[in-house]
Amino acid sequence: MRVVPLLICLHVALSGYAQLGVDTLANRNLEEVVVTATRTERELGALPMPVTLVGKAQIKSIGSVRLHDVLTEQTGLLVVPQVNGQGSGLQLQGFNPDYTLILLDGEPIIGRYTGSLELSRIAVGNIRQIEIVKGPSSSLYGSDALAGVVNIITERPQPGFKMGLSARYGANETSDLNGEVGFSNKIFSAYLFANRFGTAGYDLSPENFGKTVSPFRNNTFHSKFAYRITPRTELAVSARFFDERQDLNFEVASNGEQIRTSGSGFARDWNLNPTLSHRFSDRLKVTGRFYSTRYATESFLNSERDGSRYYSDSFQQSFVRPEAVGEYFVTPDQAITVGGGYVFETVATTRYGDQGNREQGTAYGFFQHEWTPTPKWSVITGGRYDHNTIYGGQFSPKLSARYDIKPAWSVKLSGGVGFKAPDFRQLYFNFFNTAGGGYSVLGTEVANVRLNELATANLIQSWAFDPSLLGKLKAEQSWSVNLGSSFRLNDKLQGDANLFYNSIDNLIESQLVATTTANQNIYSYRNINRAFTTGLELNGSYNLTSRWQVSAGYQLLYAMDKDVLGSIRRGEVFWRDPETLASQRLSTSEYFGLYNRSRHMGNVKLFFRLPERGWEANVRVIYRGKFGVGDVIGNVQGEVIPPSNKPGNNVLDVHDDFVAGYALVNVAVAKTIMNCFRIQGGVDNVFGYTEPVFIPNVPGRLWYVSLSYTFSKSEKLN
Amino acid sequence: MNKSVFAPCVLALTMGMWGCQQSEEQPEVISQTITNLNADYAPLVFNPGGPPTRPAETKKYTLFNFRTGQIIPNADSASGSWDIGFRATSIIFNSGTSGPGTAAAQVVVGTFDEIREAPESGFIQDNKNAGPSGFAVLSSPLTPGSTATNHWWQNTGATTSTIVSPIAGRVIVVRTADGKYVKMEILSYYENAPASPNNMVDKDRFYTFRYVYQPAESRSFE
Repeated sequence: MRVVPLLICLHVALSGYAQLGVDTLANRNLEEVVVTATRTERELGALPMPVTLVGKAQIKSIGSVRLHDVLTEQTGLLVVPQVNGQGSGLQLQGFNPDYTLILLDGEPIIGRYTGSLELSRIAVGNIRQIEIVKGPSSSLYGSDALAGVVNIITERPQPGFKMGLSARYGANETSDLNGEVGFSNKIFSAYLFANRFGTAGYDLSPENFGKTVSPFRNNTFHSKFAYRITPRTELAVSARFFDERQDLNFEVASNGEQIRTSGSGFARDWNLNPTLSHRFSDRLKVTGRFYSTRYATESFLNSERDGSRYYSDSFQQSFVRPEAVGEYFVTPDQAITVGGGYVFETVATTRYGDQGNREQGTAYGFFQHEWTPTPKWSVITGGRYDHNTIYGGQFSPKLSARYDIKPAWSVKLSGGVGFKAPDFRQLYFNFFNTAGGGYSVLGTEVANVRLNELATANLIQSWAFDPSLLGKLKAEQSWSVNLGSSFRLNDKLQGDANLFYNSIDNLIESQLVATTTANQNIYSYRNINRAFTTGLELNGSYNLTSRWQVSAGYQLLYAMDKDVLGSIRRGEVFWRDPETLASQRLSTSEYFGLYNRSRHMGNVKLFFRLPERGWEANVRVIYRGKFGVGDVIGNVQGEVIPPSNKPGNNVLDVHDDFVAGYALVNVAVAKTIMNCFRIQGGVDNVFGYTEPVFIPNVPGRLWYVSLSYTFSKSEKLN
Repeated sequence: MNKSVFAPCVLALTMGMWGCQQSEEQPEVISQTITNLNADYAPLVFNPGGPPTRPAETKKYTLFNFRTGQIIPNADSASGSWDIGFRATSIIFNSGTSGPGTAAAQVVVGTFDEIREAPESGFIQDNKNAGPSGFAVLSSPLTPGSTATNHWWQNTGATTSTIVSPIAGRVIVVRTADGKYVKMEILSYYENAPASPNNMVDKDRFYTFRYVYQPAESRSFE
């Protein structure tokens, strides 16, 4: 998408701190319970779709403090820099970050300012577990769940009293402070969490003005209360508040001139989620929620030469959603979940030409039927219908089935449909970027009016696309199949494999529409592209001894544009030999695929545990294979990002330049003393790998030490 | 401007393959590469508050004759002595609204070597009043997603920095005013044809192209 040059820098900056590292303990207990796959608590091992669970122990063992650190170490997940967007985002099964729905306690996190969600906004100190459902989940969650869903489940009060404090300090003056206190009895429970995170950022190109990631500080508060009104009725309230401030320093190029600028960026979000649930009988439970959340960000840059305002920008989004869900056990082996709700969303930003709110509403209803006809079989059928005021109706069905060939060997097959609604910027952008070279972007809802005005004023020099064909945007759609198998052998060896195929249609891309008499391009959006991603994910773990465990994961990925592949098959795509400059026809085997996708990625992790002495340690190696860069706008810290394509075609082929593959090695050691103190130290990216231009979200070597204290007094309920 | 002549080798190859069938009186095809044809180069000047300009440009076309392989002085633009003209990314032929001749051209998709014969029809004469369809080769870049084949270049730079990359697999076939056929492939738009041009360093508006000219009354390029 060629839209937001200037902001790049801002975004990279707001993206914050990326430290690679992640989890492990691949041991999965059958008792592990997840909620994301079905919206109800279900045993992980019994689900018919691919689900990854990252538990608290795993998160603690790798010493990470921000969400992206945890996710990067999971097989098949990749935190990619959004050089043409904001910060870093999560790539899942080859989908761009805005195609994975990210939930906090089951509710969507908003603030996808330029598409992807900034993962460093999420602290991990109060995370109980992270659930990752791969494959489309629009049948339960609606828009954005094409690649899958990442649901961050936070701590809830345990019976008794619990209190914890922790402090962590590390390279780049990065500090992290956590405090939590929880209390619960039969009637009432409360949980409070607070986090303060600060970093001086880092600078991968010290020769350039400004830092790769500018210093920032943020605060998170999260509280949960629950009150049992009657034995069958519970009222719960969750409230979260986050704010962040970042110092900004950039050198920007404007008309061939370098201007030094400085300023600040702010981001703030809060959410409130009261929930009332009532158990009418042992078979029927009904829950009502009223979730509301708001996100606001603002940034400005002043010229250091004369103090004048060089750039300013603001964005506010709100999301309100009442919802009711009923769960009914028809028979012991059949459960039905039915729900419905209404989402009301607004966005206001300087980029829409005025500060007025743009609004849209979505009414939806969903159902799900879970059936276990025999102990060997489990089948889940579901679907959801969304009706939106702008893009119309969407039906998203899903069918999943699991069969246990043997008690320790099962096969899973699931297929479904996902969709992603056109986002606000694609509808309402009315944005002239003077700083980024002087071009305009018009959302489809405003394009025709604005283009007419320009044409009437004789300001259009030439048309590149018939504006009457810029119709209403349709939702982007996918259908997918996941075929997997998992096994467990004598408690020592276990593994799983998953084959996936995702077909995506109606992808929204920017379209050059016209050039003005001042030679400035005007872009809008269209449903243009069709793509597919397919591949294989493998995971395995082996307990060498009771103390040593090794695990490994691998993902093979092919992500391609269907139309490009079609053109290559028809012999219409060529490449230019850089030596002779002569054109040659490209073959399908020479087509590499979409930008920013690695064909191979994987991890190997070694864990050591000596519980009786309180010791644990691990070494994790995370590998990402080579990938291509293209469609990039803007720069990182003044450095233009060179595209991989060599002159000749705009297709990523094997003759192009690639960003080389790399491996990050992370180590951590921890000791627990007297069951309540824990000291941890570690080094992420031990060999200090950096790639300032292409991978700005990987800082160099980072060390850290942390100390935590936990006090808990259990009290059995009943 | 340099040129290198490859005609003898091409002939030797053809003779070897077709031996006795080849008429000995048939003139040889002319096959050569033209480097650094200056198409109104002028340095870019950045203007605060406005788009960059090129105040030193002449806005005149560099005219070229395929048979002689020579540049024709712009003063002779009203004559039939030139076939093709270059100015920045704009390419004109000596016909219609561009000149007094009857030259015509079209873009054929394929590799230079596999186009052994000019098409029978499909040639377009210049007509600036007919909009984009009035030129055989468009001066504008191929936009992503477009299936048009009459562009010769695409932008491989970022949005804010244009790099003019000749699209691989685009061969311009020309029928000159005297009915002779030429196939040509543009190889580079930058001085000395760097493999990966850098528009901050490399001078633009310098064409490197190769062509084969058939002096006989034949559509064949062999």
